Amino acid sequence: MSLELKPKRWAGAIREVTLGSGSRRPVTVGGGNGLPLHTFEASFPHRPVFALEITDVAPPRWIDTVRQPWNGVLGQPAAAARRAVDEFGADLVMLHLMGTHPDRGNRSPDDAAADVRAVLESVRVPLIVKGPGAGPKQNDVLARVAEECQGEGLVLHSACQEEYKTLAAVAVAYGHVLVAESPIDMNIAKQLNILLSDASMDLRHTLIDPLTGGLGYGLEYTYSVMERIRLAALGGDAMLSSPMICLVGEEAWKAKEVKVSGGVHWEVATALTLIEAGAEVLVLRHPEALARLRKQVDCWFGGETCR
Amino acid sequence: MPLTGLQVFKLLPNTNCRECGYPTCLAFAMKLAAGKESLEKCPYASPEACAALGAASAPPIRGVTIGRGPRAITVGEETVFFRHEKTFVRRPGLFRVLNPASDRDTLLDSWRALRIDRAGETFQVDGVAIPESPGSPDDAAAAAERGFPVALLAATPQGASAMAERIKDHRPLLVPPPGADLGAYAGLAARLGVPLVVSGADLNALATAAMDATRAGVADILLEPPGADLCGLHHNLSGIRRCALDRIHPGLGHPVFLRIAAGEFEKAVLGITKFASLLAIEDHGGETWLPLWTLRQNIYTDPQKPLQMQPGVYSIGEPDAKSPLLVTTNFSLTYFIVSTELEATGLACHLAVVDAEGLSVLTAWSAGKFSGDRVAKSLRAMQATERVSHRTAIIPGYVSVISGELEDALGDGWRVLVGPQEASDIAPFLRDVWETVFR
Repeated sequence: MSLELKPKRWAGAIREVTLGSGSRRPVTVGGGNGLPLHTFEASFPHRPVFALEITDVAPPRWIDTVRQPWNGVLGQPAAAARRAVDEFGADLVMLHLMGTHPDRGNRSPDDAAADVRAVLESVRVPLIVKGPGAGPKQNDVLARVAEECQGEGLVLHSACQEEYKTLAAVAVAYGHVLVAESPIDMNIAKQLNILLSDASMDLRHTLIDPLTGGLGYGLEYTYSVMERIRLAALGGDAMLSSPMICLVGEEAWKAKEVKVSGGVHWEVATALTLIEAGAEVLVLRHPEALARLRKQVDCWFGGETCR
Repeated sequence: MPLTGLQVFKLLPNTNCRECGYPTCLAFAMKLAAGKESLEKCPYASPEACAALGAASAPPIRGVTIGRGPRAITVGEETVFFRHEKTFVRRPGLFRVLNPASDRDTLLDSWRALRIDRAGETFQVDGVAIPESPGSPDDAAAAAERGFPVALLAATPQGASAMAERIKDHRPLLVPPPGADLGAYAGLAARLGVPLVVSGADLNALATAAMDATRAGVADILLEPPGADLCGLHHNLSGIRRCALDRIHPGLGHPVFLRIAAGEFEKAVLGITKFASLLAIEDHGGETWLPLWTLRQNIYTDPQKPLQMQPGVYSIGEPDAKSPLLVTTNFSLTYFIVSTELEATGLACHLAVVDAEGLSVLTAWSAGKFSGDRVAKSLRAMQATERVSHRTAIIPGYVSVISGELEDALGDGWRVLVGPQEASDIAPFLRDVWETVFR
């Protein structure tokens, strides 16, 4: 009895989204027409990409293991970005504007715009910009940054169901990509994409952030909701077919288990599991995690680190 | 392969006697095919019909038990490709490779004693894998005597026989070297009645090897798929699961075995998430175990039954009678997030975890599991009320509505303070409200 695996064919595919434009070297994700990593039966024009997270101010809650690779440049976004790209080989950089949060320094939107500008001048890779989080400050900061960096194809993180109109408008007006964040809920993810479409956002400029639960802290919820989103997209649901971004670093390094040891394992396990579920943009904190994951992803998609 | 309604119908007497409770044999056949009825309701079913339906309802992946006694482990019996379709049922066994060591007994004793409690599950060394060496029969016996299920990583048929004979009553798993000629090993496994791992250069060869082992009289089989890198391994793991579930080849309806060499952490992650049932892990540092156990716990949690914490009062730091007392539910994710935030404040406190059937705060409240009365009863039962002298309980902001009812139910001058809605706001809350108002 001979056995042939019949390739699974799907009605839908993942939308291609290009991150970065203008002075950026653009990076495109998405385009796959099968289950994540099923390179044996489907085609994937683009591979998952890795961003490293840097911050506008020295991050108060990062533990030593993850601070160490960034010694000397913590809280100096331009220098940290150079290290992320030139030394650590990041495909993208995520600048987390944590210092603009009212409780963590309350830096102004103009300060934030200056930081983003400095990072854009120091590296050529696409830039993800994460605002301070929910609340009015999120819109003030990201809108100012979007205006300042018109045409650079920034990835603005993020809009949510309750608060998306301002960010959709500035993303369209100034030529950026918008991340649509939903709380580990496929229905809300879909609803938000419908709302963004109605707000004249072209979904070719959006990513889905399904909200990451780290290993041991809800990873299974994120994993399953991502598998379901992927299956719906492959089944032909255009409102769920955007590529997905996961903020792995901030969740993995929150675990109390990493305070003793093994933090890089924790970050690698979280990220690899989410790649299996369909994550295509992974934001990490530790360069060693990036190197290890890169090596594995190259096995699927070809590349110099593949053995 | 599951039978269709018409196939089942052909096996029935077609007398429409109605004794099964359905108007026609066809209607009954449709219910049978859908798995909603049992053939026992048909008094006239032939032995052939019983056999055919029995074979069709056999699980797509066989269950295999390794070891004997309380630590014996059963793997396999999975029925889905995606965990959200139903759930993954049999947590994969994570076996630890025991290399020849002078302090073998001390090592095995420490492995046996190892127990780590996390979110309602106890992590332990599930079994021991013994690579063949001059002393390996003794090693195998030492592990089996301590109650561990044992996997025998053989290099030669003679070595396999020496190890397996020694512990044959402990139902060890026999693992030939990959690519070895199966004959001698299958004969040994059949004779001793122990489970056997088969390998093959591709899925076809693997399926053929499994069929050969079955024909040689081996009852319980595990499959060791090839995979030079994670991509190849992922392809094979997905292929085996798909073939088993779709019943494409009976040779692939068995659980999967993987060897994880030192430094192959990523391979272990892939194995745990993608369908491996038994992993023999070589590990020098020990740092790999906690993330792997935790990953297994996450992936094998039933999506319909959230992880629950044991209700009770948990100490954050070293709290005393003046420390704040916070109340939350026993949904493990809620507990983890709240306790992580509390630890970050550096302030000692009591965290009372109330039994809300594993629901998150708002869900528990809407389902009536987090009412003032229920919370009060629970706090008294766990003697949380005796831990503090200030008679103040802090509740999650989302259930501010229960504060009055809870105050009444607690009585004795207790008062209820409404905390923030989000755990991330606990630190400023404790700093601004608790520290200033109550100190």
